Amino acid sequence: MSDPDLRVEFHESLDELRNDLVRLGAMTVETIGRGTAALLERDLHKAQQLIDGDDVIDTLAITIEETCYRLLALQQPMARDLRFIICSLRLASELERSADLMVNICKASRRIYDVSMTPTVRSLIEDMSIEAASLTRKAIDAFVASDDGLASALDDIDDRLDDLQVEFVESVFTSHESDGITLRSAVQLALIGRYYERIGDHAVNMGERITYMVTGWLPEHAAVARLELRTRQGLTDA
Amino acid sequence: MSTAIVVLSALLFLALMTIIGLINQRSSPEPSSEPSPDTSAEGHEALDTSLPRLVAALDALRLGVVVADADEVLSFQNSSAEAILSSHDSRTIINQALRELLVEAVRGDAGEREIELYGPPPATYLIRAVPLSGASSGGGGVAVVEDITERRRVDQVRRDFVSNISHELKTPVGAVGLLAETLRDETDPATIQRFSERMSGEVARLSRTIDDLLELSRIEFADDLFFDSIEVAEVLGEVFDRFRSAADSRQIVLKSAGDLHLWIRGDRRQINSAVSNLVDNAVKYSSEGGVVTVTVSARGEVVDVVVSDGGPGIPSRDLDRVFERFYRVDRARSRETGGTGLGLAIVRHVAQNHGGEVSVTSKEGHGAQFTLSLPRSDDNGATEFDDAPTGTEQSDSSDESEPNDVSHEVVL
Repeated sequence: MSDPDLRVEFHESLDELRNDLVRLGAMTVETIGRGTAALLERDLHKAQQLIDGDDVIDTLAITIEETCYRLLALQQPMARDLRFIICSLRLASELERSADLMVNICKASRRIYDVSMTPTVRSLIEDMSIEAASLTRKAIDAFVASDDGLASALDDIDDRLDDLQVEFVESVFTSHESDGITLRSAVQLALIGRYYERIGDHAVNMGERITYMVTGWLPEHAAVARLELRTRQGLTDA
Repeated sequence: MSTAIVVLSALLFLALMTIIGLINQRSSPEPSSEPSPDTSAEGHEALDTSLPRLVAALDALRLGVVVADADEVLSFQNSSAEAILSSHDSRTIINQALRELLVEAVRGDAGEREIELYGPPPATYLIRAVPLSGASSGGGGVAVVEDITERRRVDQVRRDFVSNISHELKTPVGAVGLLAETLRDETDPATIQRFSERMSGEVARLSRTIDDLLELSRIEFADDLFFDSIEVAEVLGEVFDRFRSAADSRQIVLKSAGDLHLWIRGDRRQINSAVSNLVDNAVKYSSEGGVVTVTVSARGEVVDVVVSDGGPGIPSRDLDRVFERFYRVDRARSRETGGTGLGLAIVRHVAQNHGGEVSVTSKEGHGAQFTLSLPRSDDNGATEFDDAPTGTEQSDSSDESEPNDVSHEVVL
């Protein structure tokens, strides 16, 4: 096979990798909506379906990971292609973790099956779910479009979800004090809030990796530069 | 086999012959500008003219059509299918199923799969794939993707209606039967009294449901409408009078705001029924000490009557369905409040009969706002509506100094 043929095959593989990641992202976003519906509707069957369905997501994530390793080993990519593959590797892991967090929410929904949530608590769960799904979808959009502007904005957009989680925990405490929700149930609900907040954090991580893919820069680079500066100053002082 | 597949099959067969022919022609290793000796000039002419037409016809369909050749490679997709295959949202999940079904079809197995996407927006797609048989087709498979979201929604509404009406009618009848059976052998006067009261309650509930069903049926037929000019303040006065005692018993305040002296054009009885149902709901779902506010405002040729409450609100997934007959957000709560499940369906039909609309905005835990929009009357009721000059200002002298958008709040 000639070199041009190899490059064509390589770029086709990169396209397939991108498509697989988009599909993994879509499946994760679907999981967020479905898991929230299972929780709010106390639908144990739907929750179980989602828990079982996580195997499909895990399998796709592993497939993506193996594709990345194969491309790295066989094609020896450079520059942007290399960053694309490394970014894909990280994104698959972040998406898979987000889907796992929804599985945690489904398992928690079984533990609080008989707990009557107040309308405010339910409303905040729905709001957190919408924000978490929106952040994940935006991360995928930024990846597809190589949009580092959107990718780096995810950190600020995530503030909304953080605020909602704080409000949610407060309303859970209020429910515990005034509506008779047991401490055990209140803890489960607080954990659910934490899981949504973590999904937001995973989207922010994806944003950072996408920024790296497009620009070659990571927020951690600033920390590295600061440390180097301090080290040099320390040496000079000494 | 669905109608869609039957209709498509003939069209597809013709299209495929030409498409496959074109593909073969394009993939020929040594394309020649000269026609081959065994190809007639008429044949080429037919190909050139029919292919764009067939592709245009397939593109005009709202169904996605995808064709794979015998090597399992996609050889054709119409524009609807392209939109799905190139999407980056939830529809990418359809993409995977579509490819799997097509591969099975190419290998000779027809199949179908229904895919429900949570969204947003929620959607349901049906994918069907069949093998292409016959020597002239060159083998391969064809898949059709159909958006069946609306069909599924209608099916669900129909199923729920049958189940809900059975529940609403059977529950009180069953309760009355059981209570009557118990009463037959009962001798204790206090127990007889208690059971009799419960029987009366169940019969009253059944009677309310039947009354509302008849009212809904009358409104649906809309055969006895008498359009008149009606002042909103008059309707609100009557409605508030009717629900004041129920509101007072739970310290709920009924408030009105906005321009109450606006006039609407409609059937007095139906308008009264619609506003009553909205206020009745708002009172029922408000917590003790709450406030129900009816705000009236003009928006061009439309008058908006907004009924707001501070109740538990409606979950977003139920917002689209609350106007269905017998639809319940919370069945247990509805039974407590004594509603029949038909009130909002009545409001929707009244709005439709008047060329208006009703909508709801709500968030769980933050109350609900129902907006009934009705055609505004330029007339104050003193003359026939049709004779009133267009653009006439409201004639109520007490309001002439106040523009419509200035609100004044009145506790009735």
